[in-house]
Formats: sequence, structure tokens, C-alpha cells
Amino acid sequence: MKKILILIPFFYILTLFQTSFFTHFNIFLEGGFLGWALNLILIAVILIMVFDPHTKIGVGAAFIGGFFLDIFSENFIGFHILILVIFAFFIKFILRKYVR
Amino acid sequence: MRYNKIMKLSPRVKIGLIIVLLIAFFIVLNLTSFSKEVKNFFYLISSPIQKTLWRAGDNLSDFFEVISEIEKLKKGNEELLLKNQALLAENTRLKELKKENEVLREALEIGLEKEFKLLLSEIRGKDISQDTLLINKGSKDGISKGFPVITQQKALIGKIGEVYENFSKVILISNKESSFDVKISDSDIQGVIKGKGNLKLFLDLVPQEKEIKEGNLVVTTVLGGIFPKGLLVGEIEEVLKSDIQPWQEAKIKPAFDIKELETLFILINF
Repeated sequence: MKKILILIPFFYILTLFQTSFFTHFNIFLEGGFLGWALNLILIAVILIMVFDPHTKIGVGAAFIGGFFLDIFSENFIGFHILILVIFAFFIKFILRKYVR
Repeated sequence: MRYNKIMKLSPRVKIGLIIVLLIAFFIVLNLTSFSKEVKNFFYLISSPIQKTLWRAGDNLSDFFEVISEIEKLKKGNEELLLKNQALLAENTRLKELKKENEVLREALEIGLEKEFKLLLSEIRGKDISQDTLLINKGSKDGISKGFPVITQQKALIGKIGEVYENFSKVILISNKESSFDVKISDSDIQGVIKGKGNLKLFLDLVPQEKEIKEGNLVVTTVLGGIFPKGLLVGEIEEVLKSDIQPWQEAKIKPAFDIKELETLFILINF
């Protein structure tokens, strides 16, 4: 629970960086990074899940990250949450079945 | 009692229930104006941070852009320098062509091409002490020894001496070995022009009884067959009369200015 509370300001700041600071750089724009836009929230979720696979913190991180992305984007609230949570479950499944 | 029932559900059912509840929550949230209020609240509290981050990102991207632009500018500058050099070379070539064109135009205006078959040539060297010139046309261009050489103003320069493959030597009319028949323009007074070297010309063998004056123009005649008739040789500068000699002599000022000479015409056929 403590970790989750730390993740809230972390993802809030990260989203602000993603939407206000890094938008000036091409690799964070649509098509700028191997045809995609580099998404710091997604990278953070993946890293959290890889380094802490046994807890449910990864799914929580995906939820919080998705929430802030939804707040600062034009999509309806829940769009990124849904994508990131499904993605988190998918990674968890992959890690459990093939890595450990 | 109900809480205990929920707690007894399997984890998969619990997760499914949570997801369904969440989806329902988000649908309700987005269908009402509540989502707008939530977003507005976050925008309000984030605005100062966003502003700072936006400026910082803008400045930093500008900085990187300048660095990448420097490299581009350097490359562009090098390309422009090369282009400039090429244009300068082309400009010089065009200037030369323009000059050549002007000379040809002048020659056309006085109808030189109608009288003679001409070949334009440029002077590559001047040897005043020997009264010779080196021109850039040779046997490759159809030049032969003895061809007359004139200016675009139809003033006689001399004749071709030595002929090389790409170059020829022009013997000026002032050369010591040069001698040819002339006449005073608009009269029947005839004489012979003799070169004295160092660009000096003298009119000789003019009978004493014939009256020649300073300023009279001297032109070539067909006698001797060296030059075609009517080419301007020069102007009488000083008449040298002596009672003890059967002929009168005159100092001639050549019609050409050796310092100004750059292009010449060779008469191939006359």
C-alpha cells in the first residue's frame, strides 16, 4: 500500500513530463521512435513489473499511470487505464509462464 | 453476511467483479460532467508545473535544434562555397565570351565578314623588341604562313610568320623585314611601307612631285599580293622631304595600338 502511495506522485510527475516537457522532442511524438511515440508511463509500468513481478504493484502502477494519462489526454477517463491494466496482466502472464 | 459471501468468492471471480465495477464506474464518470470536473481540477493544480516544464522543454529542444542546425549550416556553407566557385568560373568564362562577342559584333558592323573569310584569335604574347606577337591559332585551325592579320577595325597588324600546331607568330608591319605596297587613301599616290623595328613605320618611294600631308591615311594595295587592298595601315605623322633624294619619305603612325590589342582577325581567304 505504501508503494502504491509513492507511485501516485511519481506517475503524476512523469505524466506532466511526458505531456509538457518531452513533447518538444521528436522521439516522444507520433512516429518519432521506430514509428511509435515513446511512452514513459508504459516504460515505467514495464520496468516495475520486471523488477517486482511477485506483487500486485505492477497492475496498480498501470492503473495509476493510465489514470494520469487519461487526465492529461483527450481520451475519456478509463481509456489508458484499460489498455495499461490489460497490458500489465499480459506481461505478468508472460513473466510467470516463460521467465520464472 | 453479504460481505462474507463476497469474501468467499474465488480470486478470478473477484478480479472479474472488480473489472466490471470499474468499467461501470468509468462509463458513469464519462457520461456525466464529473469527468470534466476531475480533469479541470488536475489542470488547475498542474498548470504552473506544466508551464515551467513546457518552457524548459521548448528551450532544451531549441538548444539541440541549434546544435543540429550548426552542422547543417556548415554543410550548406561548404556547398554554397563550391557553388560560388563554380559560378565565378562560369562568370569569368561568360565575360570572355561577351568580349569575344563584342569584337565579332564590331567586325560584323563594318562588314569584315562579307569581304574576307575571318578567323578570330587571341594574343598570347607580345614581343615588342622583335615586333612579333604570339596568337592562339595554329596549323590545326588552318593557319598558314603569310596570312594577313588585322584588327576588328580593319587596321593591318602584320602577317603570319612561324606556324605551330596550336599557336602562330605574327610579324608586325613594323618589323624590320616587313615591306609592302601602299597608297594614300583617296588619291593615286603610291609608295612602300617599310618597318624600322620598335613599332616604327616609314612610307618610302613616294615621288617628290606628289604632295603628301600629315594626317593622310595610308591603305594597302593589291600590288605584290601580300595583303588585300583597302586595309588601313596608319596615318602620316611627319613628312620627311629632302631635295637631294629622288623620293620623299614619311613617318607613319600605325593604325593599331599595341597596348590595347587583345583579339585579332586572321584573313584566311581574300
